[in-house]
Amino acid sequence: MSVPAASPPHAAHAGAGTHTLEEGPRIDLAGLRADRRVRLLATMEAEDLDVVLLGRPGNVRFASGARQLWTAGARSFAPSCVVVRETGGVHLLSVWDEGVPADIDRSHLFGISWNPGSLAASLRRIPGLEGCRRAGTDSLNPLFRSLLADVAPRATFVDAAGPLERCRRQKSPEEVACIATAASIAESLLACLVEAVRPGVTERELVGRYAEQLANLGVPTPPTEAVCTATARRGPVTFRQLSLARPIGPDELVVLSPGALYAGYEAALARTTLASGDPSPAHVHLATRARSGLEALVGSCRPGARGIDLLGAWQAATAAPLPSVPLVHGLGLGAEPPVVGAGLGEGAVLEAGMVLSVQSWSAAEGTGGVLLRDTVLVGTDGPVRLTRFPTLPVRPGSSEAAP
Amino acid sequence: MIPLEWPDGARIGGRPLPVVPDLARLRAERGSRLRSLMEVNGVDCLLLLATGNVAYATGATAPAADAGRAALFRNVAVVVRTDPYPHVFTPVPEGAPPELPSDHVHPPLYPDLAEGMGALASALAELVGPGTVIGVDEQTHPMLARLDGFEWIDAGAVLGAAKICKTPDEVACIRAAQRINELAMADVQAALRPGLRQTDLSAVLLRRLFELGATSNCIDPIWQVMEPSKELGPWTVHGDLAFPTPTTDRFLRAGDVIWNDSGISFEGYASDFGRTWVVGSSRHVEATKRAQFRRWRDVVDAVLAVLKPGCTALAMDRAAIEANGGSKPWIEHFYLAHGVGTESAEMPLVGTDLGEAFDESLEMAPGMVLVLEPVIWEEGAAGYRAEDIVVVTDDGWAPMSDYPYDPYELAP
Repeated sequence: MSVPAASPPHAAHAGAGTHTLEEGPRIDLAGLRADRRVRLLATMEAEDLDVVLLGRPGNVRFASGARQLWTAGARSFAPSCVVVRETGGVHLLSVWDEGVPADIDRSHLFGISWNPGSLAASLRRIPGLEGCRRAGTDSLNPLFRSLLADVAPRATFVDAAGPLERCRRQKSPEEVACIATAASIAESLLACLVEAVRPGVTERELVGRYAEQLANLGVPTPPTEAVCTATARRGPVTFRQLSLARPIGPDELVVLSPGALYAGYEAALARTTLASGDPSPAHVHLATRARSGLEALVGSCRPGARGIDLLGAWQAATAAPLPSVPLVHGLGLGAEPPVVGAGLGEGAVLEAGMVLSVQSWSAAEGTGGVLLRDTVLVGTDGPVRLTRFPTLPVRPGSSEAAP
Repeated sequence: MIPLEWPDGARIGGRPLPVVPDLARLRAERGSRLRSLMEVNGVDCLLLLATGNVAYATGATAPAADAGRAALFRNVAVVVRTDPYPHVFTPVPEGAPPELPSDHVHPPLYPDLAEGMGALASALAELVGPGTVIGVDEQTHPMLARLDGFEWIDAGAVLGAAKICKTPDEVACIRAAQRINELAMADVQAALRPGLRQTDLSAVLLRRLFELGATSNCIDPIWQVMEPSKELGPWTVHGDLAFPTPTTDRFLRAGDVIWNDSGISFEGYASDFGRTWVVGSSRHVEATKRAQFRRWRDVVDAVLAVLKPGCTALAMDRAAIEANGGSKPWIEHFYLAHGVGTESAEMPLVGTDLGEAFDESLEMAPGMVLVLEPVIWEEGAAGYRAEDIVVVTDDGWAPMSDYPYDPYELAP
């Protein structure tokens, strides 16, 4: 079945722009932060957590709402946000108050330390931490295991990553609106890339165009730099993520996958276009198969569906073996569980309010590969597509450009 | 690759510094350094999850990504002390180094997911026996709950000791990263004029970086407008300057003093670029500002005058303070200098809250790369900050950055 692009009722204003208007912001970000805080404290209560010590940037953003410096990559665990259930206090590692919401008092900020001893001293000053019973961390390592045992000697340290994941899983209307805004930014980026693709341009140059346009749109940080790879016209076709300094050849199928972030929330989008020429029957066949797989996946994004249902739907629609890349993963403040693919996430159960990146990959030797990826809200009544873009691998202006 | 000369006689461990890094040799030397330090520290195996550590241990490349994505779809490294090749578990197999045997490149692991533990446990059981001492940089809760039978210790001692001194090829990678960053910044500086937004400068920089051959961008580029006094800037926990604050769509206005900061990666190695610019001043700046720059130059020159193998971090601190008339010329939460490598700031750290005793014990050695970033601040008149990179050589140091200080350096 084909799922029409639509906006969820609460996201009526989303996707319209990113600037604050005279009458107020398009998205109630203060309400969003307050709602997240309530959910986090409720989770802490339900999980019997006196304190959580968070190091993962997505969790820190969820708890604090602070706009902090973006750096690429995953770092090892170090606590940079501490939430105390009894006081409701959110304590944040930030030397300054710029980018910190006013609901976090300056007295709740602590500075960068290179010396673990100084960090321990900062943590000890947080009311409610030293005497707590059950403290959750979103990860650990031997260094912080011993440091935290020293800071909170009576505490049992338990898993806060699982509780945070469950707390973040179902998106509020404001969170969906942020993702829908990211989706429209991603569409703008994709339009820019489709226009820039031609024989002779390198994949790396297209990554540069993507990064430039991202900054021009006022949101200069990418979910990933894996946004452009051409697929091989000869020999085996593998799914690639690293862009090369190699010029794109005529008639190559080029995967364009420009994601975007808005207020930390991610939208995923990918289409495949021909570098030049008109699609051959083989191109159309490949694209049709990829699209059938995508539509089957999107159509399966309903509350109660299991990972294995999604995989089965994709396989039934494409009559192809599962690819090595996952077909589905969660979206929110970045990529989130569940991850559903070959041997992964079969038991995951979809819940209303989850937002998913769903993708379909189809490849044939001698033709190339087609990747299609959309962002989908699991709505109470069924799937709601948050990204919009024609799906056939055609050149702009071609007669086949209809969705 | 952009050709580049090193000063005559610049050597590390008797070896000349290459202009073009030999990446296979770099990975081989890094691997043997890591394995010998594992032996010294009694570590049989390393299990690494953090992006920079995995890149260091395996040489595998992955696209730069936001932290959440980089964690969920991470590369994982397993280094067995008795095996000359590391194992990499990766969703990006095309990024594995060419010399890695195919049985050392594995499908991805998901250490952040409970359901990923079966594959991780099997992988470890295949490679090491029970009771093995494993150095780790991160233990997710699923790992803590499900991986039994090993002795876990922190990998920091091994990695820190391995990374602190660079091989000649590592130095060449950092130099190449810095060169790309500088060339891209030249285009940004040429574009700078009143009326642009901070994000417009990012746009110019980011596009040029990729065109010039950067592997990835590592940090949202900083273009912080420095108010004339601390009071007019953001509030801080220590009362000193706020820096670096993230970029927004803020307009840049004539006369704004901008401290910029950016870092890119070339083959896994970071650059670090920092200069002070004045919006609307493509030519010279007034005497007050030139004096700030001269003071900055004096501090850097004083530090470079003492820098050589065997010099302590404390001696560098003291030289800088003396050249600044007795007060500390760096920001309270930062340092006079820091290392750069597979992390944008790593050991050696000079002048941090680790304290005087630490700095006294930290001796400079050939192959250490230092980003010198003193800050000269004049209440009411803002200040000057720039970052210059040098590598400690067998008999002194060699420059690794080469970017003008305009408009501060230009004569009236």
